Amino acid sequence: MITYIARRLLFLPIVLIGVTLLVFVAMSFLSPYQLVSAYIKSPEELKNQSLDDLVRKYGLDQPIHVRYVSWMKNLLKGDLGYSVSANMPVAEAVTKRFPATIELALFASVPVVLGGIWLGTISAKHYNRPLDHVTRTFAIIGWSLPDFVFGLILLMIFYGVLGWFPPGRLSMWADTVVLTGNFTRYTGLNTVDSLLNGRPDIFWDSVRHLIAPVITLSYLWWAYLLRITRSSMLEVMNKDYVRTARAKGLTEKVVVNRHVRRNAMIPVATVSGSMILGLLGGVVIVETVFDYKGLGLLTATGAQQLDYTLILGTTLFYGMLLVLINLVVDVLYAVIDPRVRLE
Amino acid sequence: MRTKSLSLLVVLLVLSLSVSVFAAPFDAETFVYVGGAGGPQTLDPAAAYDTASGEVIHQVYDNLFEYVDGELDNMGPMLATEVPTVANGLMSEDGRTIRVPIRQGVKFHSGHTLTAEDVRYSFLRGMLADPAGGPIWMFFEPLLGVQTMRNVIEMAGGSGDFAAIDEVDPAILRKAYDLVAASIEVDGNDIVFHLVEPYPPFINILAKGGSWSAIVCKDWMAANGDWDGNPDTWAKWYDLALEDMTLYDQANGTGPFKLDTWDKSGAQVLFSRFDEYWQGPASLKSVVIKNIPELATRQLMLRVGDADAIYVGQEDLPQVRTMPDVTVIDGLPQVTNTVLFYSFTIPVEGNEDLVGSGKLDGKGIPSDFFADVNVRKAFNYSFDYEAFLTEVALGAGVTPVGPIPQSLPYVNTEQEYFKHDPARATEYFKKAFDGELWEKGFEVGIVYNTGNNTRKTALEILEYNVESINPKFKVNVIGLEWATVLDKLRSASLPVFVMGWLMDFPDTHNFAVPFMHSTGTFAGYCGQGLIDLAKVEFDALVEAGIKATDPAEREKIYFELQKRYVDLAVGMPFMEATTHRVMRDWVKGFTYSPAYSAQYDYYTISKEEK
Repeated sequence: MITYIARRLLFLPIVLIGVTLLVFVAMSFLSPYQLVSAYIKSPEELKNQSLDDLVRKYGLDQPIHVRYVSWMKNLLKGDLGYSVSANMPVAEAVTKRFPATIELALFASVPVVLGGIWLGTISAKHYNRPLDHVTRTFAIIGWSLPDFVFGLILLMIFYGVLGWFPPGRLSMWADTVVLTGNFTRYTGLNTVDSLLNGRPDIFWDSVRHLIAPVITLSYLWWAYLLRITRSSMLEVMNKDYVRTARAKGLTEKVVVNRHVRRNAMIPVATVSGSMILGLLGGVVIVETVFDYKGLGLLTATGAQQLDYTLILGTTLFYGMLLVLINLVVDVLYAVIDPRVRLE
Repeated sequence: MRTKSLSLLVVLLVLSLSVSVFAAPFDAETFVYVGGAGGPQTLDPAAAYDTASGEVIHQVYDNLFEYVDGELDNMGPMLATEVPTVANGLMSEDGRTIRVPIRQGVKFHSGHTLTAEDVRYSFLRGMLADPAGGPIWMFFEPLLGVQTMRNVIEMAGGSGDFAAIDEVDPAILRKAYDLVAASIEVDGNDIVFHLVEPYPPFINILAKGGSWSAIVCKDWMAANGDWDGNPDTWAKWYDLALEDMTLYDQANGTGPFKLDTWDKSGAQVLFSRFDEYWQGPASLKSVVIKNIPELATRQLMLRVGDADAIYVGQEDLPQVRTMPDVTVIDGLPQVTNTVLFYSFTIPVEGNEDLVGSGKLDGKGIPSDFFADVNVRKAFNYSFDYEAFLTEVALGAGVTPVGPIPQSLPYVNTEQEYFKHDPARATEYFKKAFDGELWEKGFEVGIVYNTGNNTRKTALEILEYNVESINPKFKVNVIGLEWATVLDKLRSASLPVFVMGWLMDFPDTHNFAVPFMHSTGTFAGYCGQGLIDLAKVEFDALVEAGIKATDPAEREKIYFELQKRYVDLAVGMPFMEATTHRVMRDWVKGFTYSPAYSAQYDYYTISKEEK
């Protein structure tokens, strides 16, 4: 297994060079004056400036290969460049925004996965009966709803009317404490840091801000897991050993929980892994609606503004994340399922 | 079943209790403004040239002068003690020497006391740093008669065409410094500016609202790693990347609010009251400026009371007008003009999506299509200004009478201007290209930047009206991303484009140059044809207009410029927009000046719960 992991890790730099080359090739189709729009972001900002001076200052007129080599050299020194759209170095932008994304992903993955499996189980258990139809319809509505619509509905009800779950990551008073008060940042995760700082009020405030985006993500993604769980369980339910289990007089609960669900879980685990990976990559629309400043919003803004250093930096980061998480999932397979051998 | 209902009840009870415990009560001392159009690019007064940056600088720094009650024609002292005039002897008869007495006893946030040397340093540092794309040209023009520090290096005998400043001979750099330094002197408690020519709006450039003229503290700057005033070392800070400049994300001014932090990842700026402010402390204790792009989220924050004021675009105003406890103040005058420009020399090759065949054959337009004054006039008479103002802009503005907004002096409001007149449009289309255009027709792509629906609609009005005149006329309204628009502007490839100009300082000159001078911002985007025309028709007058100190003489010059612009139909100014503010009705003390790029001047604001 160690050889397998080492081999996969050796591929990592090749994958990363590949993706950055692709981004650079894509960027080479843009003229220096298109790239300068990162500095003059709208027609209103076009004043008495010389575009040529800006192009020269930021080296946008350099040939693409020169820029790639210079970017690579800096990368080897640990410098990912400066992001104009985030107003900070790319590495700092990613490390500041990623904890927000991890926090949302952590809080969302539990209800997404457990809820999806639970709904899928109900559906399979009541195959083609009213409860199956109701569960599936409920989940399909969620799947079909555009995320900004459902997010806005939640925000209107739970923030606009009830005042329970506000947008953002923290309320203004908590933000002020975190930014200017005596508050140490350990992980960047508000829930964890607030507990480590002994501030249960800030912990609860950050949880309040997580609830609505988590509900949105859960409802939107349940249908997907439901379908996988349901079909996988239905397949297992027809297996001989399940019939045997029933024949020997086990209760339906034991049959479903111990014999069916456990064996139906492998495809569900695969899908859940990719869902969590998706969550870690950031969820642009949900982040936008709830003003939740995570990695997704950062990347989308950077892409919109042709902030090529940020695009390169986040591409590199996503590439690394993808390779590493896939590796972890493969290793986990081998651990969970004795039939899988990594060679 | 009963247990389940009971636990649900308990959960709901706990939830609502905890919400009421942690819900923020009305806070009369904290003001939250939520913008939506993007955050600041830099907090350095020498580099900031966008409104969001100006918004922050406005709260933290003071200028030498300010507009009394926000009125553009009523200037008062701020960090100066008097406004220089010829009458009070602080301005020389020829307008070229201006003496400014500096207020004593003013404290910076750092605790330093303001001196005349700080004021001189603020301007020298800005000019010597001259970051590309910044606003510092506004000092170079009156003080040295040039546009950039590169030009000053040329004046000193060097070449302005260097890749890095360390390529320039140190002796030349020293000479360049001496030229800049000689333009501003300290004399006791006074500052003396030496202008190369009379420049009537010079005081306006120094006034509040101009973030470039914010006064910084020399000692604090040097202690924080910036230039220390040494004549031989300034080049180290020349044209740095924004993020490498000392004041990029920190600030130390004499203004009513201290900058606590610019939380870039949270897209917010936090301020707190400066209790030793020389005009007395502000009513608000803290101010937060946030940026949230999603309008619905901003609206909900306003409704709930988490935001005291929000940004709402003109087209979305109807959505907030009916909100309870919300005040909409609209019709606030601005000094701005939105203009449809024509490119006089359009490249044909590679530009087929806009110019088609590149010939006058009914399937495209030739390169010099808009160089024909008849075509431009025909287009100008085709636009329905009235319908645009009432139906699209919802009445928020006025129709211009030329390129200079009517809120500025020296605008002839009696000037005959274009109006929607299909008969005259037809007449000019028939005259164009000696009748060939009318016979053969044309097809042209006209461009707006995607996302700007108001501009799109303006172009659609033009499209509909022009096509109605002759079935052989075909106009295609095309939306392009801003990056592509910028690229095409650089090569003057857009046959028609719409652009707005918001003043830097309230003087006619600030519109005459970009709209009419051959070296102005827009001439470069309108092709060589317009540059050549401007050299003949406009340049001499524009240059005379700024040098003239007699108001009657200035009026004569600018009236003539306006007349020529309209007669030649150089462009089609079609909107002088007003602006608005949306706030909770507990906000008191709102003041406004068209000179301020800041949405709010928090010094005057307080909050009172109803």
